[in-house]
Amino acid sequence: MKKLMLALASIALMATATMADAPAATEVKMKIKAKEKDGVVKAKVSISHDMLTYDQAKKKGVEANFITHITGTVGDKVVYDASTSQFLSKNPLIKFAFKGKKGDELKITYTQLKGETFFATKKIK
Amino acid sequence: MKKTMLSLVAVAAMTVSLSATDYRAEKPDAWTAHDVPTAIKALYGEITPAEGDIKLKAPKVASNGGAIPVSVKTDIPAKSIAIFQDANPEAAVVVFAVTEDMVEDFSLKIKMKKSGTITAIVEGKDGKFYSKKLTLEVALGGCEG
Repeated sequence: MKKLMLALASIALMATATMADAPAATEVKMKIKAKEKDGVVKAKVSISHDMLTYDQAKKKGVEANFITHITGTVGDKVVYDASTSQFLSKNPLIKFAFKGKKGDELKITYTQLKGETFFATKKIK
Repeated sequence: MKKTMLSLVAVAAMTVSLSATDYRAEKPDAWTAHDVPTAIKALYGEITPAEGDIKLKAPKVASNGGAIPVSVKTDIPAKSIAIFQDANPEAAVVVFAVTEDMVEDFSLKIKMKKSGTITAIVEGKDGKFYSKKLTLEVALGGCEG
């Protein structure tokens, strides 16, 4: 029972930690294109990231570091949500589409292996 | 005290799941599995996906294994879409959590060490699973950089 409690407590801690981390996301530059046509927004996002796999990192003698999650939001709507592995290309390019309208702001947030988050925003054209 | 703890946990968990589905946290085994069937099993359990109307696109011969454009598109109302391959040390590449606001048309660039097969699994809203496979040749492996 104690163990269970501990486990639960640590989960709670982790959860609160991630929640607390959310506002501390760093703004970075990303290439984002988002254009609306007939109620559908087509978006193209390019993120500068090494996407070092475990194998590559080992060879270079550095730590692996890759994007583990990418989220796209407009207001409080989630319009893109991908859990990713180290096998996205270096400087990943993603394309997706969602129901939205011109003038809204698209926010792309990504999390890397150790939990740091980065974001960028772009107005939908 | 215990009760408050528990409810706190519940609240925290709910807040997290509302914002996004983190398949890495939820299904950690799926990301370390070395072959496609094991990864699929870790992610979705025992499933027998049917051949579905999924448009999975990638070049037949990829000149650069470091950035292979892959796209998956379907009209099946989906809860999630996952992409796997069998050329790298681990099988999972990406899992999309699909919401009502999305159009099911995703493209991205992936890395593949050697020639292999890409598998897309669509988890339908009807609880059924659909899959599509695509084999391609990789001229220059992309995992060693």
